[in-house]
Amino acid sequence: MPAYIQARNVRLTFCPPNRAAVTALDAFDMDVEEGEFLSIVGPSGCGKSTFLNVLLGLIKPDSGEVTMHGRKITGPGSERAMVFQEFGLLPWRTVQHNIELGLELKRTAAAKRRLVAERLVSLVGLGGFESHYPHELSGGMKQRVGLARALATDPDVLLMDEPFAALDAQTRDLMQVELLRIWREARKTVLFVTHQIDEAIYLSDRVLVMSKRPGRTKKIFDIKLPRPREYEMRVTPEFNDLKLEIWNTLKDEIAI
Amino acid sequence: MTVECLVDERLPRASFVKRHRDAMLGVLTVALFFAVWQAIFLVVPLNPLFFTTPSLIAAGFVDLVESGDLLHDLAVSAVPFGLGLLAAVIVGVPLGILMGWRVRIGYALDPLMTVFYASPLVALAPLLVIFFGVGLAGKTVIVFTLAVFPFIFNAASGVRAVDRLLINVVRSLGGRERDIYLKILFPSVLPYIVAGARIAIGRALIAVLVGEFFAASEGIGYAISRFGDIFAIDRMFACIITVMVIAVVLTEGIRWAERAAFPWRASQ
Repeated sequence: MPAYIQARNVRLTFCPPNRAAVTALDAFDMDVEEGEFLSIVGPSGCGKSTFLNVLLGLIKPDSGEVTMHGRKITGPGSERAMVFQEFGLLPWRTVQHNIELGLELKRTAAAKRRLVAERLVSLVGLGGFESHYPHELSGGMKQRVGLARALATDPDVLLMDEPFAALDAQTRDLMQVELLRIWREARKTVLFVTHQIDEAIYLSDRVLVMSKRPGRTKKIFDIKLPRPREYEMRVTPEFNDLKLEIWNTLKDEIAI
Repeated sequence: MTVECLVDERLPRASFVKRHRDAMLGVLTVALFFAVWQAIFLVVPLNPLFFTTPSLIAAGFVDLVESGDLLHDLAVSAVPFGLGLLAAVIVGVPLGILMGWRVRIGYALDPLMTVFYASPLVALAPLLVIFFGVGLAGKTVIVFTLAVFPFIFNAASGVRAVDRLLINVVRSLGGRERDIYLKILFPSVLPYIVAGARIAIGRALIAVLVGEFFAASEGIGYAISRFGDIFAIDRMFACIITVMVIAVVLTEGIRWAERAAFPWRASQ
């Protein structure tokens, strides 16, 4: 019985012109359970973002198999949606029209699109900003739009590629709390790539540590902290023990 | 944002002059320029064969308007100006997009286009007139030749500047090629094309004038050269200044339209 999302023996090599080939992933295995919040941490360049793109269906691995519900992933699909680090909002569209983009591409009727967008605008806390343009928004607000857009097509899986990396520390902490609130309501399976161990522990059910390039799964940690996660948990001894454990696993992989 | 700006927001709305202070500075300089020009000939004797004054220019302008000659000449010149620009858009934009989209074609054509753009095409004007004759055809070709390159280069730049991330966003949401063209490429490139139009219009105006200098019997450029030939310097300047004003109005008009239509570009 295959896992909800399953990667087996994935290998992927980039061959940029005029430069040496780079093997981003090699013998990469991982399982994701339905409904879980899984974070992936790893050193820079270890292939974690690459793997997310493979899951999204934008890149095909050279060998190995990635499946969801037992079916091979061969391209993008509406059951998987991504939230991007640099937001990726269309600057010429308002907040509402940005959120509606996925539904437009699925040729959904305008009235239904508007309904879904309105619901999501209030879910992510952007009420009153529907007609604003991205350049009028702060970073945190832009990422809320990114999140709303990803949720608009009602995917089963949310892929989040360092979504808060471009935000300042305070906004980042706030967005983490918001994300958990939204996740409690939306109930998706989430794969969350991050550099920050705190963030990974605070948000997730499990944390997967990747090795340095070529990336493979080094160790998986179960985060036994109770839900709903309170911000205060971040300063408890349990939290810090976990952080130290994960750091010790990770630090050998980081090259200076 | 400067401190000055923040303070202004808290005070009651300032007077017209304060709000438009920067523009008024510009207007003041121009007015000063004409005033000095006029004043010089109060002291220096005026040789009407070679020099003129703003007041004489203004009188000449009024004459030309009243006789209808100015409007007629402008209308005649407007035809090759408009046709040449239209042809430049129709040929230049698709070619530029192709060069930007298909990288090899871009590599192949870039050097050639750059050479043409950098050449003093204005010097080719007599040659073009020999090929295409005096009149509408010749003038239109000259306008086209000068106006097409800004469209080509700007369209190509616009395509190259398309944010790959946005293409990935659309693909990840299930968009196909057609969706990428319509929803990403077109809106991304449009501001570049409009900016190209702003540049092309200036060059097209020069082209019309030059074309008419060399071989024409009508039009504002012809009028300028004819007034120069008969030493009617005041009327010559009246026509030149009219063309300059038209150029400024068109260019600034497009600039304003760009800011209104593409507000996100200001931050780029």
